[in-house]
Amino acid sequence: MMKVVHYINQFFGQIGGEEKADITPQLHEGVVGPGMALKNAFKGEADIVATIICGDSYFAEHQEEATKTILDMIKKYNPDVFVAGPAFNAGRYGTACGAVCKAVKEALNIPVVTGMYIENPGVDLYKKDAYIVLTKNSAVGMREAVPKMAKLALKLAKGEPMGSPQEEGYIPRGIRKNYIADERGSKRAVDMLVKKVNGEKFETEFEMPSFDRVAPNPPVKDITKAKIALVTSGGIVPKGNPDRIESSSASKFGKYDIDGVYDLTEATYETAHGGYDPTYANADADRVLPVDVLRDLEKEGKIGSLHRYYYATVGNGTAVASAKKFGAAIAKELIADGVDAVILTST
Amino acid sequence: MDLEIQQRVKDIAEKFGPENVVVILGGSEAESAGLSAETVTAGDPTFAGPLAGVALGLRVYHVVEDEVKNEFDPAVYDEQCGMMEMVLDVDAIKSEVGNIRKQYTKFND
Amino acid sequence: MVKEIERAGLPVVHMCTIVPISKTVGANRIVPTVAIPHPLGNPNLSKEDEKELRRKLVLKALKALQTPIKDQTVFED
Repeated sequence: MMKVVHYINQFFGQIGGEEKADITPQLHEGVVGPGMALKNAFKGEADIVATIICGDSYFAEHQEEATKTILDMIKKYNPDVFVAGPAFNAGRYGTACGAVCKAVKEALNIPVVTGMYIENPGVDLYKKDAYIVLTKNSAVGMREAVPKMAKLALKLAKGEPMGSPQEEGYIPRGIRKNYIADERGSKRAVDMLVKKVNGEKFETEFEMPSFDRVAPNPPVKDITKAKIALVTSGGIVPKGNPDRIESSSASKFGKYDIDGVYDLTEATYETAHGGYDPTYANADADRVLPVDVLRDLEKEGKIGSLHRYYYATVGNGTAVASAKKFGAAIAKELIADGVDAVILTST
Repeated sequence: MDLEIQQRVKDIAEKFGPENVVVILGGSEAESAGLSAETVTAGDPTFAGPLAGVALGLRVYHVVEDEVKNEFDPAVYDEQCGMMEMVLDVDAIKSEVGNIRKQYTKFND
Repeated sequence: MVKEIERAGLPVVHMCTIVPISKTVGANRIVPTVAIPHPLGNPNLSKEDEKELRRKLVLKALKALQTPIKDQTVFED
């Protein structure tokens, strides 16, 4: 029987939520959590010999150390294939799954499979390094994701040839493979063109990468005269969250007047973010949105002024399209208000 | 269904025996009610909670289903659930929870 | 959000803990911070030391805003 080692986070490891996100990697013999589903899907062809659980924040903050520990844990089992996640739309979890997969592939030369939602930041970072099965954006998609991941894992473990991303359900890795097509290229091209002209659906044979990069703007010339604005995706809001910004998948941003505010205190501000442990931000929101320090610098003449309003949303599972919309809307207002530069903080 | 509630359902089923437990759901959407129903019958479909891989097979109903509704004093039901019953997609909830129950409950009666 | 603000023509500095994500989303000026739940603080320090730490990070961000760059740049120490 083939051997599999499985990586999951503290939540799926049933250790706890955000309050346990800083746990160091731990090793469990056998299956834990989603591993049960995975094991069932292997239908006796493979067994999960060990499960590694690591806190999402710990991994993100100590990537090198964590990766090293995890590699050491995996080594002794000498598995035929390594599976991580699925991470769905959890950003830190997805990044961790991708990073661990990459390290396992490179250092141990063991095939790797993980699963994520298309907007998970781990996808862009690691799609070239691992087979990433496309999943729904929440754990509701577990049932669909697991059989696909299991199938891919078995194939890789057995060294069977891998099909195309469309056939196997993984995210394209940018690898080209030669094959003998049924029809010659000129005919395929014309067929595609005809479909395109008719407004029908067609499938390209070479997906162009979408590089959406924006060139950096010129620097601020004289910071001591500049009006600086604060923006955050860390969910800092006046106590009580007056705009009721959602703790995840935010549909809006808030604009808050900080005229005369010199320090964010426990009594006046809090975080609405549901994707990190809120204890520290609730106790002192300056830890996410540095109003106190900027007020000092304003007083000392190190900056021109701090803009009267700050903008906040919750960057937790928020759709890229929404974030784009928020960013554009915020920028428009800032420019209209004569702001010169922006500090954007994220958790 | 969050981890704490899963644990509570699990504890109760252990203490009283799964044959003696009925779970009544109040979720407002068919999909989430269906997921809760699945959790207490076939096991946690997200494999994140204590009921992951634990098929309790409990009897499970949504409070808007007739089997449950008919057991109430109509005046009390109307006061407590009447409003919600009007705004919810009752048919979708009934079919979702009913289907899960048919598939997974171990206690057919 | 960072990218849209940059696109609109405002110089912007992204202060965050997970630098690879910041790079992926296309931030150009990046200042790495302390930890996810408290990017600009450290609850283990005294109130004064913590504020000093935050001040240093903010000053680094201001420096980033004044630095001409061509590509994505991470402003380390």
